[in-house]
Amino acid sequence: MSNILEATFAILIFPGGAFALALGLFLKGMDRKVLARLQRRVGPPLIQPLLDVLKLTTKETLIPTTANELAFRLAPVLGLTGVLVTAAVMPVGGVWSGVSGLGDILVLLYLLPIPAMALMLAGSASSSPYGALGFSREMAIMFAYEMPLIASFLAVAVRVGGAGGSLFSLDAIMAYQFANGPLLLDPVMMPAALALLIFIPGTMGSGLFDIPEAEPEVIEGPLLEYSGPLLATFNLMSAVKLVVVLELAVALLWPNGLGGNVLVNLAWHVFKCLALLMVSVTCFRAATGRLRLDQGFAFFVKYTSPLALMSLGLAYILR
Amino acid sequence: MRNLINKLAPRSPWIYRLNAGSCNGCDVEMATAALIPRYDVERIGCKYCGSPRHADIVLISGPLTVRVRDKVLRVFDEIPHPKVTVGVGVCPVSGGCFRDGYSTGAPTDHYIPLDVIVPGCPPRPQAIIEGIVKALDVWRVRLTEATCCRS
Repeated sequence: MSNILEATFAILIFPGGAFALALGLFLKGMDRKVLARLQRRVGPPLIQPLLDVLKLTTKETLIPTTANELAFRLAPVLGLTGVLVTAAVMPVGGVWSGVSGLGDILVLLYLLPIPAMALMLAGSASSSPYGALGFSREMAIMFAYEMPLIASFLAVAVRVGGAGGSLFSLDAIMAYQFANGPLLLDPVMMPAALALLIFIPGTMGSGLFDIPEAEPEVIEGPLLEYSGPLLATFNLMSAVKLVVVLELAVALLWPNGLGGNVLVNLAWHVFKCLALLMVSVTCFRAATGRLRLDQGFAFFVKYTSPLALMSLGLAYILR
Repeated sequence: MRNLINKLAPRSPWIYRLNAGSCNGCDVEMATAALIPRYDVERIGCKYCGSPRHADIVLISGPLTVRVRDKVLRVFDEIPHPKVTVGVGVCPVSGGCFRDGYSTGAPTDHYIPLDVIVPGCPPRPQAIIEGIVKALDVWRVRLTEATCCRS
């Protein structure tokens, strides 16, 4: 019974739910503000993502007559629910170690593609040619970035398990890093850390990998036909997805807190997410353009996957 | 709660450019206002969007030529309410130098009611941004009165 209560709390309030939504909107605002400052502009106010969502709720919802209405309405809700559950599984170092029995990186492997799936469903249900194009691009790029993700997961699991085999429990991964220092400073894990750093803009579709939603080419791709509250739901989904991928990288490589105090640890966690966002999304987006689909696919296959696989191999040899 | 959201909503205008047979002069000025950091429209919350379904403020340029009239009206109907229209350049009001030409039936505002007009051939980027800011007031009124700009 208490386990169910704990899980509900995790999904609705603390690591997922309200906390993840607020953190996601804050991170999106910081991203836009810092990008503007890098271009020597004033930029939008910090609460701009929240204002966008509020604005969209006042707009009319238009549904194309040729669209599959059920799938069209269901896709954003499905995506938001999926990422909120994923955010609930994420541990926060020194504050929250996840609901017992939920936290496992194999579960995360199943939960992480849900937002991409929701976008694909949206693109194909909208019956627009641009939506279909966005759907196929999203699918192709997803196949490319899943490989380094899985390889980095396995590398972390093997490194933590050591001679005893591989450990897939998030609790064990956190405990190992509390005892032996963060895996980020482990030379064996550095290639995998780099691969995860490239995976973040890949899954968020920013910088080089803005392929499925490229505005000048496919006009926002899967989101083309969405308007009003449904688009607002997609905006929230993308905000929470940002939190999930950042927290994932933090949990796998650098979950250490600053001491016993819960509030200090929480602030430290937010700071780590923010620092990771600045490096992997904002500066990357300010400095790069966009690749073609085939170039983006080749980038992950040729450069990112070998990095993660290198870590995996080294972790096997050195255990 | 509804009132608060109505008050906050005009702080996030998303802009859509609708070319109704323009000579490209105004489009270049609009792109300049949007794309280069110097005129930073993002500071009033603007974002240029590619899809008409995401738009709040429509910037219309050009005299609405006969050839594109039906397409422009169709795209205009795709924009969800409440929407605000801004005519950029002299063409939407009077036809400009294309006035009485064989290819322009009538000025744009015979077909699409324009809320704000930014005159000039082409107008300066600063004037376009001022037009957007004036459109926000129209939007505010439209949100509280729940009126539509085209039936």
